[in-house]
Amino acid sequence: MKGYRKYFAKKLLWFFLTLIIAFVLNFVLPRLMPADPIANIMSRTARGINESAATRAMYENYVKAFGLDKPAIVQFTTYVRNAFRGDFGQSFSQYPRKVNDIISNAILWTIGLQMPAIIVGWLLGNILGALAAYIRKGFDKLLMPLSLFLSCVPAFGMAVILLGLFAVKLKIFPVAGGYGFDLIPTFSWKFIKSILLHYQLPFWSIVIISIGGQAIGMRSMSIYELNADYVKYSRYLGVKDRKIVRYVFRNAMLPQVTGLALSLGTMVGGALVAETVFSYPGLGTTILKAVTASDYPLLSAATLIITIMVLVANFAIDIIYGLIDPRVKATQFE
Amino acid sequence: MGKTILEVKDLTTKYITRFREDVYAVDHVSLSLEEGKSLGIAGESGCGKSTLALSLMGYYFPPLHYVSGEIIIDGKNISKMDPDTIRKNILGKEIAYIPQAAMNALNPTQRIISFIEDVIHAHYPEMSRKEIYESARKRFEELNLSPAVLEKYPVELSGGMKQRTVIAISTILSPKVLIADEPSSALDVTSQKMVIRMLKNLMEKGYIKSMIFITHELPLLYNVTDDIMVMYAGQIVEKSTAKDMIFDPIHPYSKGLMGSIIVPEAGARNTKLTAIPGTPPNLKKPPAGCRFAERCKYAFNECKANAVGLKDFDEGRSYRCLIDSARLREVYKNEQQ
Repeated sequence: MKGYRKYFAKKLLWFFLTLIIAFVLNFVLPRLMPADPIANIMSRTARGINESAATRAMYENYVKAFGLDKPAIVQFTTYVRNAFRGDFGQSFSQYPRKVNDIISNAILWTIGLQMPAIIVGWLLGNILGALAAYIRKGFDKLLMPLSLFLSCVPAFGMAVILLGLFAVKLKIFPVAGGYGFDLIPTFSWKFIKSILLHYQLPFWSIVIISIGGQAIGMRSMSIYELNADYVKYSRYLGVKDRKIVRYVFRNAMLPQVTGLALSLGTMVGGALVAETVFSYPGLGTTILKAVTASDYPLLSAATLIITIMVLVANFAIDIIYGLIDPRVKATQFE
Repeated sequence: MGKTILEVKDLTTKYITRFREDVYAVDHVSLSLEEGKSLGIAGESGCGKSTLALSLMGYYFPPLHYVSGEIIIDGKNISKMDPDTIRKNILGKEIAYIPQAAMNALNPTQRIISFIEDVIHAHYPEMSRKEIYESARKRFEELNLSPAVLEKYPVELSGGMKQRTVIAISTILSPKVLIADEPSSALDVTSQKMVIRMLKNLMEKGYIKSMIFITHELPLLYNVTDDIMVMYAGQIVEKSTAKDMIFDPIHPYSKGLMGSIIVPEAGARNTKLTAIPGTPPNLKKPPAGCRFAERCKYAFNECKANAVGLKDFDEGRSYRCLIDSARLREVYKNEQQ
């Protein structure tokens, strides 16, 4: 048990080290963008004001309000201090909305869309891959090229195809948004129905493209395991097929678990494309808007969330993997 | 004469390759094994030893297929049984197998005891986990294996330990015939000795009634088995007692095999080692005549023309060669001088 604790202490140390570096980068990188965020706000707020003295005063007022006149290091310490209190300041582009408010709104949409989509895609892909490996013959011959094709379709491609087919041509589903733009969010049947309708296309576009890759991975892992020596040995000892199939798929699943955890961790990053195409009100769309408006606080906070999710996912894989695979555990103890 | 435990008559099995070619890796093999006896099978790699081991169990799955012949275990003819019955009633229970690569023979993510449970449950579904654990613990102790192994995962065991664990698992249901396919070939000498001692121990305690031991290490066979059978290109080329095979091989191939090793006996220092030139024939298109003719230095025209049958000579010995056994002995004797 001591080796185990030492292993995780070490992992935890790396976890925080990575987090600190990522935290600094999240602050620095957006500010390296060649753009003037204030000019962006000005173009919106100072429209119609012709007096140059007034616009100048407004400009300076914004610069002061956001603390952009202070040296970078002071800005950074302020950012760190506030971040530790869980306050990420005010958004530039959606001034005077709080960053926390924007992100907490967006992240629910993203998690609600991505988490089920990734899990469903992962499950379907693995089941299909396992069946292809087990049945072989025609099923495999059909599934393999299809999976290869699907895994090569880029996310935006699939999103646009679905959009064009089901929303524009067949008009079954709405084109964009998280819910009907004429509705006010309430707990009414009409609103829930609208959410579900808007949900379908982005959801399936993510599911379909993730099925292909997962099925290919699971199929080859399963074929590898089906030919393993222990399968032959178990058969020759009369062990039931039902049991052997269980050994095989359990072992074949192990690398797939890593894939699941990683894709859950990176879901916000991956969300960008599907959300953008469907104008889904999630974190992806928010990040895209923040980038175009050079909205430093919003961008820093959003990327920090992605960083934390990836790190947590990695850390979780380490723990879970040690629990489900004795071979990994053995190396962790060393 | 003891009771016959295993009787194999004219067993032929084949591999069907990916390109739908037939490869007869076991070609009309007959053998019999008495209670308390062990039989060694020797030969180069690729001559059908391991395939024979698998074929003897009467349970076939692709690419291995049954062609003809009979396998009778303790009076039961299993070659006519359906595969499911064989799997439930014969495998592990009547005839058991120790695979060549014991290193990978165990499921890496399963504790040893859990696998033993699966093995026993396949044949005795009514046994409780507690009973299984108790009997496994007792058996492990009797075989000088620590019962702590039961709780371990395969990765936590050393190579030698894994091999002995596999042997203990294979014999947990006290099968009548044990087929050990190169059980010691990947081990160091100490582990090898422990494995051999364990197999002998199993025999003495009566947990197995007979054993077939497959190896390319001939000196080992001399120490372990009563009889030795030499295989070449899917056929038996010579059968005799271990002692006769080592000191008086008749078939040119056996002679060649024995000449390429040193048997740890008095006078071993003076023996010269020789090698057999060439490689075994491709079994997709086996030669029409004697399969060894191509590499045999005594071969003459007729050897390559007609197939050669197995002939008896001396007492209880047989070989597959056109040349008379007495003549061969004479030739070997002259060569030595």
